[in-house]
Amino acid sequence: MGKENSRRSFLKTGLASTGLALLASSKANAFSLKNPGRDAKDARYIGQKGKHFVMVLDLRKCIGCQACTSVCKVENQVPSGQYRTFVTETEVGVFPQVRKAFLPQLCNHCENPACVPVCPTGATFKREDGIVVVDNTVCWGCGYCISACPYDKRYFNKKTKTADKCNFCAQRVDKGLMPACVETCIGGARVFGDINDKRSDVARLLANFPTTVLKKAQGTRPQVFYINLDDRVTELFDTTQDLDDMVKVEQGFEREWMKVRKEEVNNG
Amino acid sequence: MDSMQTLISSITIAKPWGIDIPNYFWFTGSSAAAFIISSFAHVFGWKKYKPIAGISLLMAFVLLVAAPLNLVDDLRQPGRILNFFMYGWENFATSPMKWGVLLLLAYPILIFFEAQALYRPYFVKKAQESGPLAKIFYLFMTFGRTNLSPEALARDHRLGFILGAIGIPLALAVHGYTGYILGAVHANVMWHTALMPIIFLASAMVSGTGLLLLLIPFFQRFLSERRKVDTDMVATLATLLSWFIVADLVMRFLWLTFSLTFADGEKYALYSYFQLHFMDTLLIDYLLCLLIPLIIGFTRLKNIPAVVYFGGFVTAVGVWIFRWNTVIGGQTIPRTTPGFLHYLPPVFGQDSIVSVLSNWGILIALICLVLLIFPWDEEMIDCYKGAEHAKQ
Repeated sequence: MGKENSRRSFLKTGLASTGLALLASSKANAFSLKNPGRDAKDARYIGQKGKHFVMVLDLRKCIGCQACTSVCKVENQVPSGQYRTFVTETEVGVFPQVRKAFLPQLCNHCENPACVPVCPTGATFKREDGIVVVDNTVCWGCGYCISACPYDKRYFNKKTKTADKCNFCAQRVDKGLMPACVETCIGGARVFGDINDKRSDVARLLANFPTTVLKKAQGTRPQVFYINLDDRVTELFDTTQDLDDMVKVEQGFEREWMKVRKEEVNNG
Repeated sequence: MDSMQTLISSITIAKPWGIDIPNYFWFTGSSAAAFIISSFAHVFGWKKYKPIAGISLLMAFVLLVAAPLNLVDDLRQPGRILNFFMYGWENFATSPMKWGVLLLLAYPILIFFEAQALYRPYFVKKAQESGPLAKIFYLFMTFGRTNLSPEALARDHRLGFILGAIGIPLALAVHGYTGYILGAVHANVMWHTALMPIIFLASAMVSGTGLLLLLIPFFQRFLSERRKVDTDMVATLATLLSWFIVADLVMRFLWLTFSLTFADGEKYALYSYFQLHFMDTLLIDYLLCLLIPLIIGFTRLKNIPAVVYFGGFVTAVGVWIFRWNTVIGGQTIPRTTPGFLHYLPPVFGQDSIVSVLSNWGILIALICLVLLIFPWDEEMIDCYKGAEHAKQ
């Protein structure tokens, strides 16, 4: 009987002390609904309150020079062979009615992102100014957000070994600068700003031009808007035919994932 | 006018999940199936399954201990595992991965305690027979309860029943959540179906039964004192396997008819995927790995053990291929760049063929370990004796 009692009291003490320890540690932010940076209200995590950043891509002005692609890699130290933004180059129409069409692509900083709610570590989240960011000191690299993004705009950064993507150059925006790709865009096709400021360029463009977003049916409400987007270009997203992919052929494939060779598809 | 689009340049997208993930899904699924089969006896009281209930429970345990190692290997930052437990709890409702890790922790603990309740009397006997060192170990495994009175045994039985009853929904959840992981991804045409958890469960029952059909006769023939395969049990499991295949085929039929025929515009991508893989899917996955074992279990062929082992083997392999086709195949479908992607697992390194083989090595080592520790053979022989006694 005495033995029973001592065991019971041991269990009770154990449970009580574990409970207390848990309580104490949660006060010290050891357990968090979000992540340490957001709990500490770090400005980089909270963003600029009251603002809502969006990008407008005026495709009438894009000349496919890839200046944005390159400057992004420099500004954000994106490893070789990986991209936060790139411009897809296509030809549409049949000779003699043929023209080139360009589609700059980047993270859409969706209002209702598919990537954020699936993150099991809270490493990726939406700042109060609408910018979706990844905390690469928290991310454990499970890849769920990469699978969830309907726009394929996330990848594993080879250097940090975490999920990575466009962050609208938040490090620049927080200092009052434009994202690097906007700054460098030769034709002025990339326009960035606070949509809540009715005098901003983005607010004026959105008010005056019909715009559209990519993959509306996904319900993610993208915050990157396109002017003059041709359906024939987005149709390429879904096509399963293997079309020429010259840049990648020249650069070599990723280690594991690659394009099925044209012959295989045709013979299959 | 016909329009024509040509892609001049874009980038090739790298996808996140490789060979570890289908292997992980196969392990958890087979574990859930083994647990359900053990519960046939422990919870539902079907005496026919009593002799294999213990060993099935142990197999469910080892499969689930080995399974999460695939996930750890898949992580790009495995050193940050603690971040999972500490941060991001606001995503609990929307991230099936969050549920999964908790299930993966709770489920093997539950199985362990159920197995302990089942084998406790045998541990007591072992402790009485063994030398001093082994005695300490076996006494530890009894958790200090050495009482063998009918009341104490009844208590073990009740505990086994309760844990088994809690375990059934847990086993279904531990594999069902993997279906949620894929089904929740609305960006992926192949994965995004509400049927995914049920399809995964149905195919899990197939692979788990297939695996038990290979392991149990092997243990009985070579590792048990009886040195005899229970051919009636083999035939029973073969028929059970056939019923699970029926359930699996029904689920897959529902899934494919809706996603290929009655779906919206996204069906075309899936359509071309299956066009590309038509012959290997039809011949290997459906004909060889499902239809042939189905016929074996429903005909007199089930009385020929060698044929049944073949059926068990091909279903286990077939479900692995199905997991591969779903996880890898789903990722090959283009979302933002034209043309299918292609995946070749690397031979060495993280997420590679060698890492999956190592995982299987760990599974085999764990099987050896539990077979050494748990007195499964004595328990099984007692069950057979009990069954023969009941017949007389």
